[in-house]
Amino acid sequence: MHIYERPRDLETALALLAEGDWQVMAGGTDIYPARVDRPLERPLLDITAIEALHGIEETGEGYRLGACLRWSELRDRPLPPIFDGLRKAAATIGGRQIQNRATLGGNLCNASPAADGIPVLMALEAVVELRSLRGVRRIPLVDFVRGNRCTALAPDELLTAVLLPRPRGRSRTTFLKLGSRAHLVISITMIALALDCDPAGRILRAGVAVGACAPTARRLPLLESRLLGRDLAEPLATAVDTAVLAPLAPIDDIRGTAAYRRRATLVLLRRGLAELATPLRGAA
Amino acid sequence: MPTVTMTVNGKQVSGEVEPRTLLVEFLREGLGLTGTHVGCDTSQCGCCVVHVDGRSVKACTMLAVQAEGAEVTTIEGLAADGSLHPLQQAFHENHGLQCGFCTPGMIMSSLELLQRNPDPSEAEVREWLEGNLCRCTGYHNIVKSVLAAAAAMRGAARAAE
Repeated sequence: MHIYERPRDLETALALLAEGDWQVMAGGTDIYPARVDRPLERPLLDITAIEALHGIEETGEGYRLGACLRWSELRDRPLPPIFDGLRKAAATIGGRQIQNRATLGGNLCNASPAADGIPVLMALEAVVELRSLRGVRRIPLVDFVRGNRCTALAPDELLTAVLLPRPRGRSRTTFLKLGSRAHLVISITMIALALDCDPAGRILRAGVAVGACAPTARRLPLLESRLLGRDLAEPLATAVDTAVLAPLAPIDDIRGTAAYRRRATLVLLRRGLAELATPLRGAA
Repeated sequence: MPTVTMTVNGKQVSGEVEPRTLLVEFLREGLGLTGTHVGCDTSQCGCCVVHVDGRSVKACTMLAVQAEGAEVTTIEGLAADGSLHPLQQAFHENHGLQCGFCTPGMIMSSLELLQRNPDPSEAEVREWLEGNLCRCTGYHNIVKSVLAAAAAMRGAARAAE
């Protein structure tokens, strides 16, 4: 007989995790569809009834996003500009009905190379909070996602929150995805930009990440360093060339060739930079 | 086997289910509510959309045990006192269906849109229905039906004021 537990508090969940081999589930949108015709083998630990894992909170250091935050909540809530890119990513994660169930933490722990939620959070230098009965550790998202469906999560650990550092200035973020059609597709490539600017529009910090072009989303440090100190009103697209794509390792597959992914990534990066520049032009 | 208790279309129901039982299986096979259809079984087509605590979800992507204590509404719960819901009426009048298989999901999905946005544009309706597939490709009349229902519901709301 299959086992299912849905504890109401975090301590109970962590105690269960410390004792046995559980499949942790939140929205569950990828658990069943990924195993059609194959039975669920591990007992299920449903963490969605744990109040402490929900909501968005502003903290001294930035923002704390609960692991069970649903993507539709990110779309519907009024949130500051630092969330613009994440909101755009949320809108591409399945359709509305999937966004009504699927969670932030699930997207990260699932660790698909094409996870739409990961590049924006990497560009924002997000940190994940992992808890077990042994204690808490906080590690950068870029170190948490280790490979295709592989994370740094220990068997007894639960991803409890995603922490976004406070921007160093005015935050401008965006996300662009290429799929074979507009909706309900697995990404061919996607880019995320997070720029912190001073009031004059000079870039103080640049985060750039690309998804679906390597086993994990990857940051582009060369492009980030080229953007530093530049003005948002400059034609920033000139900073984008093939050299910045060095960290990527795209593959040929059913959705596109590696060469197409590289070319499309360059186009999306230029479009994203143009998009972020636009609102400041002409502004007082 | 665990017992699950939830409110379906206003009535409290309980049943013993294996944890692997999907919500849609519980509704169709446990409760005999076969208006919720299963089209793809992989959360793509949207034929199985129901409302859980006021939000539209795909009932093939949720376990019945996850709906413990929840308020569930299926297509059977829309008509009140023998008269069709304005969305059902609009699909009827505007020929918003061909084979009809996707219709319950189209209506349940559109219902959340109209609850949030009583006056959506055509583009907003089309975007909202991205997770609902019509195998007959009858999208034009589906969109027309949703817009007609929105107008009818706005009219009824004004009349009630």
